[in-house]
Amino acid sequence: MRFFYQPRKLTKNRSEPLTATQKERQEERQDALSFDLAQNVQTLQSIYENCSDVVFRPLRVGGTTKATLVYIDGLVNVDELDSIILPSVMKSTASDPLEMQHLFEQTLTVANIQKAKTVAECVEHISSGHPILLIDQQNEAFSFGIAKWEKRSLEEPTGEAVIRGPREGFTESLGTNLSLLRRKIKSPKLKTKSMKLGAYTQTNIIIAYIDGIASDTLLEEVEARLARIDIDGILETSYIEELIEDNPYSPFPQVLSTERPDVVAANLLEGRVAILQDGTPFVLVVPVSFYSLLQSSEDYYQRHLVSTAIRWLRYLFLLISLLLPSLYVAVLTFHQEMVPTTLLLTMSASRELIPFPALVEAIIMEIVFEALREAGVRLPKQAGAAVSIVGALVIGQAAVQAGIVSAPMIIVVALTGIASFTIPRYTAGIALRMLRFPMIFLAGSLGLLGIMLGLLIILTHMATLRSFGVPYLSPMAPMQGREMKDVLIRVPLWKRNKRPRLTGTDNLTRQGPNQKPNPLDGDDKTRKENRHD
Amino acid sequence: MIEKGKISALQMGIMMHPAIIATAILLVPAITAHHANQDMWISPIWASLTGFVTVYIAILLHNYYPQQTVIEYSEQIVGKFFGKIVGFIFLLFYLHTNGIIIREYGEFIVGNFFVRTPLIFVMGSMIFVCALAVRGGVEVIARLSEMIVPVVIIVIVFFIILLIPDMNITNMLPVMEKGIFPSIKGAIIPQSWFSEFFLIAFFLPYVADQENRKKWAIMSVVAVLFTLFLVNITVLFVLGNITARFVYPVMSAVRYVSIADFLEHLEAFVMAIWVAGAFLKISVFYYVFVLGTAQWLRLSDYRLLVFPSGFLLLVFAVWTAPNLMELSLFLGTTVPFYLDSVQTIIPSFLLLIAKWRNKMRDEQK
Repeated sequence: MRFFYQPRKLTKNRSEPLTATQKERQEERQDALSFDLAQNVQTLQSIYENCSDVVFRPLRVGGTTKATLVYIDGLVNVDELDSIILPSVMKSTASDPLEMQHLFEQTLTVANIQKAKTVAECVEHISSGHPILLIDQQNEAFSFGIAKWEKRSLEEPTGEAVIRGPREGFTESLGTNLSLLRRKIKSPKLKTKSMKLGAYTQTNIIIAYIDGIASDTLLEEVEARLARIDIDGILETSYIEELIEDNPYSPFPQVLSTERPDVVAANLLEGRVAILQDGTPFVLVVPVSFYSLLQSSEDYYQRHLVSTAIRWLRYLFLLISLLLPSLYVAVLTFHQEMVPTTLLLTMSASRELIPFPALVEAIIMEIVFEALREAGVRLPKQAGAAVSIVGALVIGQAAVQAGIVSAPMIIVVALTGIASFTIPRYTAGIALRMLRFPMIFLAGSLGLLGIMLGLLIILTHMATLRSFGVPYLSPMAPMQGREMKDVLIRVPLWKRNKRPRLTGTDNLTRQGPNQKPNPLDGDDKTRKENRHD
Repeated sequence: MIEKGKISALQMGIMMHPAIIATAILLVPAITAHHANQDMWISPIWASLTGFVTVYIAILLHNYYPQQTVIEYSEQIVGKFFGKIVGFIFLLFYLHTNGIIIREYGEFIVGNFFVRTPLIFVMGSMIFVCALAVRGGVEVIARLSEMIVPVVIIVIVFFIILLIPDMNITNMLPVMEKGIFPSIKGAIIPQSWFSEFFLIAFFLPYVADQENRKKWAIMSVVAVLFTLFLVNITVLFVLGNITARFVYPVMSAVRYVSIADFLEHLEAFVMAIWVAGAFLKISVFYYVFVLGTAQWLRLSDYRLLVFPSGFLLLVFAVWTAPNLMELSLFLGTTVPFYLDSVQTIIPSFLLLIAKWRNKMRDEQK
């Protein structure tokens, strides 16, 4: 454990002591490999002290030169190691360093061979699954890119299912995720910048963007915010999200997280930046606006008129999921005159035996619904059926017959529950679901006025929010005429000529003009052939 | 500059619409009807003249001092001492006016919907919500206007359409029965609302696209004129010559809405939407007061003034008038001269002096 415990050297800038991660990195860099094999092996062994999964395999190159192979069991494709690397290394006749270099670079049938010059580089290679070959009398080690570990196969993302559209989703493997993205965007303009975060997890992070579409200022800001992260471990992109978002106290998500490669590709094409992380299928996309969280990828795969209608349906149910219980409470408590007389009679008849005021009734039922939802997510599949049966009893006829809640309340709660799931992004939906509780209290104390005041507070908060410099409510506020049409309607693809203006203004043209299909114009062959006159 | 945000000219125009309309559709139609009777729909047209003149003065002043608000450039125009006095008059005026607005809001809510809720609570909760918006700065208020104003306008149009079955066009006849004067007399009150367009003098320095400022300021006056015209003519068509007897004619007209015996009694809904408009109006005045005070005291930030000013506003709202009748009388008699003298007359004097100063300077060269 030598280099972990070296005394910290005095730096020029005393006011800013180096953080744990920075210190480690700086010291590692200084430790170059020596010419003595035994010393190198000992250094690595002291680093990997008490790591039973690290294998040190002494061998002789060509039967003469001493060497040691170091790898982590389980991260390396042992078959390839046995069948390709070990035979040719051990059987070769090379003896001097130059010959050996020739051997590794030209005759070894492994695509990815790299040289490591420092201990830190060796450690990096070993921990990413590349076996390291340390050779006597050489201050360079060779690493072989034959990493292989268990991974999940491609599956359809369960959180973002579509009826029409690609069914593959990201997996936990960063390499697979990048390849999925690269398969969608083949242009070399798709750039991927790599970095490592987390002092102990050393998690690989990749910033993906399209050169020439994503603005430089945005990219710089993303890199700067990622660079200031200094944390012991990154286990999910939500860690990154929480450390880079603009307003950490907001209930609203300011970063889009998705499991779908097509969503990431579409966002990259609009000039956004994606952050991929090893070990999670969720990819972050910045910046986002509130409205883009209300859009599903399928909006662009269905016919545009249908998608427009569905978008408006979503806006309506967004309001319902936020407001319906509070509206019900407000109307029953303060504004009975708004209800048509016959309906009011039915409602008051059903409420006659209920011991609670509408406010309490609403709060109880909403909490029960949230509990059922949470239990449904966490419970193992075998117990799920039980929860749904019990849930149907609790929020259902039994509760009404027991005289605890009124039947209209059941309808309100059920409708609200359904409504919140029409929002395609779970994080946005859950934010609104949480906000409806203060709204119910406001409605119970100030009626419609309270609801309006609550709405105004929420709206003010949203107007204050920004996601990486882009106002959260854009393109509606501030209004951007050209982009507003993608919020109010789903624009036909042949009319989507410009990219949204996020932070840059260059390269906004998305497609050529006149993309609208127009078979009547000009001589359409199919039309000519099918003419029956 | 204290305010670092930038808004567009369009945003400024949108922001001014509720800043005028919100209270202008409460008590004003009744006062207009009292003077103009069936010619009340003509009055907004005369009244808007003040709006055009005020916008013109504010923009000319802004041309002389493009980076400053009225609080700052009045010191440059009439000297430091007198400039501070002029600035103080403006600040006191906006504090008092906002107190009146908040009181109008509170009286309306308490009088119509929450009879047993204390007035102070109704006003205080609103001031708190506005304070949150004001803390966000000019950009946030502008964005809020862009979200809220379209909804308010859609609701207004929606209700006008719903009221069509109850309209009686003969209510407007005979047009100009007693000549042009009743309608001009009826315009005296609404024109003082149009003088509130001088608020743009506080926002013009923060407009990013200066080339459009005149266009959108004038468009905003036209939009306000059109809205008032529509509201007045709807009220006239629905209520006829009894309009003047209502305190809140627009609310009384809304009570007529009935669709298939199902959609009825939508006053509470209209109130909720109107509250959003009042929120914008109070926020704009509140912001102007807070920003102006910070500039007057040469502070580096205005945000720390927001909540203390809120208490001051609440106090002024309580002090403004002992009850609604006094408030209505005050609005019907004193306010036109009060609003005009501060927001149109003083600026026009400032403009004259600024012109004269520039002329002197040019001659010296």
